[in-house]
Amino acid sequence: MILRTVFLRIVLFIAVWWILTQGRADSWGVGLISIVSALIVSLVLLPLGLFRFSFAGIFFFLLYFLSRSLKSGIQVALMAARLDPGFHPNIQKIPLRLPEGLGRVILVNTLNLMPGTLSVDLTASSLYLHVLDERQSIETQVRDIEKLIAHMLCVELEES
Amino acid sequence: MAILELLSSIFLVMGAAFFMAGTIGLLRFPDVYTRLHALAKVDNLGLGLIILGLLFQVPGLTVALKIILIWLLALAASSAVSFLIARRALNRGVAPWKAKEQKI
Repeated sequence: MILRTVFLRIVLFIAVWWILTQGRADSWGVGLISIVSALIVSLVLLPLGLFRFSFAGIFFFLLYFLSRSLKSGIQVALMAARLDPGFHPNIQKIPLRLPEGLGRVILVNTLNLMPGTLSVDLTASSLYLHVLDERQSIETQVRDIEKLIAHMLCVELEES
Repeated sequence: MAILELLSSIFLVMGAAFFMAGTIGLLRFPDVYTRLHALAKVDNLGLGLIILGLLFQVPGLTVALKIILIWLLALAASSAVSFLIARRALNRGVAPWKAKEQKI
């Protein structure tokens, strides 16, 4: 299991280096050093065995992410173009159900790109979101993304 | 071939239009939080469309993968930076702008 994770990370870093150098053969000397450094840093920042990725989960997450990104960008563009953007902004507190760690980081960053939400603070138990329209419930969207991330990382959601 | 070029141009123009809208939002929106909304979301979609347009013109697979990688890295960076700016603003006590009828 651990060997498999290390192997997958090495493959990922080799792929990234190959992409960055566009497949040139004369850069693998520097590449080897970079790949080894990247592996060490990744092992320090994300220790092994805490989670694993589900490929089906990643696929569903990306699908949701892309469709909502489109909505999000169009919404903001329309607001910028209207004379009265129709803001009703406020800061809302949402209790978190994802366990601490990578999942929460992904949640915070995803919500920044989703329609109407901006993460402004993260505490041990709650996430504070700046919403563009407080009259619309934002909780459903957060819960959907939480579920997708939990599925992607193969973790269980805590009861709130 | 001409169809590919046409598709490419359409996506590039759409991407540019979103960047334009995002910049207008950045100038017009009332406070730091709403401006961050405009920036992060439009970066995501505008850059995505521009990269989609460029994908129709790439000479090879590695170049295509490279610009997709650039999109993902720019997304991660813009989202993380938005969160850091917003959190710093909140910690310094910058109050979010409210609509008029809310101010009672």
